Amino acid sequence: MIQYKTFTLNNGLKVIHHQDKTTPMAVVNTIYNVGARDENESRTGFAHLFEHLMFGGSKHIENFDAPLQLAGGECNAFTSNDITNYYNTLPAENLETALWLESDRMLELAFTPKSLEVQRQVVIEEFKQRYLNQPYGDVWLQFRPLIYKTHPYKWATIGKSIKHIEEATMEDVKNFFFKHYGPQNATLVIGGNVEFEDVKSLVTKYYADIPARDKYTRHITPEPKQTETRRLNIDRKVPANAIYMSFRMGNRLTRDHYLGDITSDVLSGGKSSRLYMSLVKDKKLFTNISAYILGGIEDGIFLFSGHLMEGVDFETAEESILNEIEILITKSISDNELTKVKNKFQTAKAFQDQSLLNRVMDLAMHDQMGILDKINTEKTIYDTIKVDELINFSKETFTPTNMSVLTIKAI
Amino acid sequence: MNRTIAPEYSKAQNIDLLVPQRIKLTDQIDLYWLNETQDDTVKLDMTWDAGSKYQSKKLTASFTNALLLAGTNKLSANQISEKIDFQGGYVSQDLDKDQGGVTLYGLSNKIETIFDIFSENFSNAIFPESEVEKLIDIRKNGFKISMEKVSTLCRQEFNKHIFGQNNEYGKVANLEDFDNVTVSDLQHFYKSIYLETKPTLFLVGKVNQSFIEKLKTWAQTLGTSKSTVVNTNFEQTKGRIEIPKKDAIQTSIRIGRLMVQKNHPDYYDFQILNTILGGYFGSRLMANIREDKGYTYGIGSGLSVLDDSAYFFISTEVAKEVVDNTITEIYIEIDKLKNELVSENELEKVKNYLLGDFLRGSDGAIAMMENFKNIFFNNLSQDYYTEFIHAINNITAKQLNHLANKYLDKTEFLEVLAG
Repeated sequence: MIQYKTFTLNNGLKVIHHQDKTTPMAVVNTIYNVGARDENESRTGFAHLFEHLMFGGSKHIENFDAPLQLAGGECNAFTSNDITNYYNTLPAENLETALWLESDRMLELAFTPKSLEVQRQVVIEEFKQRYLNQPYGDVWLQFRPLIYKTHPYKWATIGKSIKHIEEATMEDVKNFFFKHYGPQNATLVIGGNVEFEDVKSLVTKYYADIPARDKYTRHITPEPKQTETRRLNIDRKVPANAIYMSFRMGNRLTRDHYLGDITSDVLSGGKSSRLYMSLVKDKKLFTNISAYILGGIEDGIFLFSGHLMEGVDFETAEESILNEIEILITKSISDNELTKVKNKFQTAKAFQDQSLLNRVMDLAMHDQMGILDKINTEKTIYDTIKVDELINFSKETFTPTNMSVLTIKAI
Repeated sequence: MNRTIAPEYSKAQNIDLLVPQRIKLTDQIDLYWLNETQDDTVKLDMTWDAGSKYQSKKLTASFTNALLLAGTNKLSANQISEKIDFQGGYVSQDLDKDQGGVTLYGLSNKIETIFDIFSENFSNAIFPESEVEKLIDIRKNGFKISMEKVSTLCRQEFNKHIFGQNNEYGKVANLEDFDNVTVSDLQHFYKSIYLETKPTLFLVGKVNQSFIEKLKTWAQTLGTSKSTVVNTNFEQTKGRIEIPKKDAIQTSIRIGRLMVQKNHPDYYDFQILNTILGGYFGSRLMANIREDKGYTYGIGSGLSVLDDSAYFFISTEVAKEVVDNTITEIYIEIDKLKNELVSENELEKVKNYLLGDFLRGSDGAIAMMENFKNIFFNNLSQDYYTEFIHAINNITAKQLNHLANKYLDKTEFLEVLAG
């Protein structure tokens, strides 16, 4: 049970307090309702580049990291297609330092040309290190545009190409900040060994005078329903052939999300799961295979990915996956199997919730999705799921016209 | 409010460390138990001196460890996994150069059943041929993929040359070695180490006394001897080694040297020096090479500590065009530490960061147990962390300067470049 209290400042900043008296630490987490989905198609990768610039000094504070480190703190951030999240962990008695720093960069950035030039280079090196100089590193750069034709999910958070990052200007940076980084577009979550009243007065002290800016309203046209099988093969210098198969499904806020989650666990959650037992161990077609979901706020994807055993062709690999789906649909799922998956889910959730940072981020994410009130009841949704509903989900989702297949051929 | 003025902060003072209770399962085998947890999770680590330094043939230790639950005369690997999964259990099998073991994760009402499944199958493991062959296929694929990464190529080559290839720590597997793994090697390693030598157990979570009794009964069936392999004769290479990789668009750089171990008087202080140089986001290497020059996504330095050795290293990945500049800047930063005293302000920042980091690393019972394991496996005194905190609070710029001159001598370094 994650306990929390909330309050909202006049400028629209929503604050969530989550107390944990067993830790000496505090976490200050700021989630901004902006991600790669809000980018202009000719300036992709910008939300992520911007995240780097948030550490380049703010209006009254030259350097973000040094004062935080002086107070024993550490910080980091990440950008997804949906959101951007910043977090600081520090000794609870130094909470004020983090609020001072975070509030100043919400008020206004320093916008120094040096920061833009350096972080542009850093992000280009990140692009190379993580996406270009790794075997299979560019999979998502290739696969997203096959699955999405119009929706901004068609590009990855790092961006479509290095060129877009090279072209970003200071004017872009300023516009982006004033459009997306206002208090009404953020949720501040403060967790740890800190009292509600102290949090309230400190947050008021540092954030109340930040002016409300125009509320950003998103107008993204949903991706139309897919109506044909899509295929793409790319040749790469990799050690083994690989296959990726996607099926679109409902987004993070729909029941599909939970059905997809359970189905992916039935198929590939652990060593006793179907795909591993059948395709890796029994038929020896893959050296690894997994099924998982991407629960985007706008749209969901059910994904299969695997590396083929030497000598196995793509056709056989694809058929074998489709065959497992067919078996799932025609022969159903036993009660035992469903209980197993639910039991594993319970254990995993209990371990995840041990971490204060995880709980705080979970609160932030749920609030951004508008389902903060469901944070403690969400896991009971899994208990209500019956076999019939899972089979119907599979029948509706795993259809040829809803499928995209990316193959990477080793050359 | 004047936003240019930083609020007051305080330095982390007392850090309350939870120390696990020690329970003698038998005269030889100990269990360390922390039960001050807030939830129903239970984690049980069983660790043997079964790391790769104990093997006589490459990959034996890692394959044995990975296949401990891969079948008995009664149950197949699939059936064992199925039973554990049904209880909502998770198993991780971990191996490094020194230790090998198994960790069970589960909820308190299931952990006894999960343990029963584990112990029965662990004690009767047979290492079926088909499972060994399957794992060879899987591992070969993983190996080929990782050998395409400049970071792996660089780390492997560094590993060979930091310890010397005649030393067990310096031995690195090649693709051919996977085909030489045999069932009998694994069975032999399993019997002589996992069944004959004693493990140590670490338990975090609320469990009933009946579970402790169960562990005692199990411990009676285990071996009692202690492995006594000690690696000596390290032959570190000095100077540069280049591993060319055509088509790579970045180069992985690793620079380092053998270093004093945890029980050496300079160890704590060197940790602090390392933090200043490359041990945190605000470090000098990050400030210069990432945040000023933009040459890399990340650069860092660290100490890697093993049972019988330790080494210091700096590592990064940079664009090919700036390799030389990066190395020049790394040595400029090292020379600064040797020639100039660290300012009071920077020293205070690093001290406070380290104390805060220590708090972060002690958050929760599982983290506390990891701290304890660090003490335990390195044969350190119970006061290790108190002494470390004392060292952090008392180190001076002059001492750090002395250490930099003592240990950061360029002519002593091994440099490996891959890309």
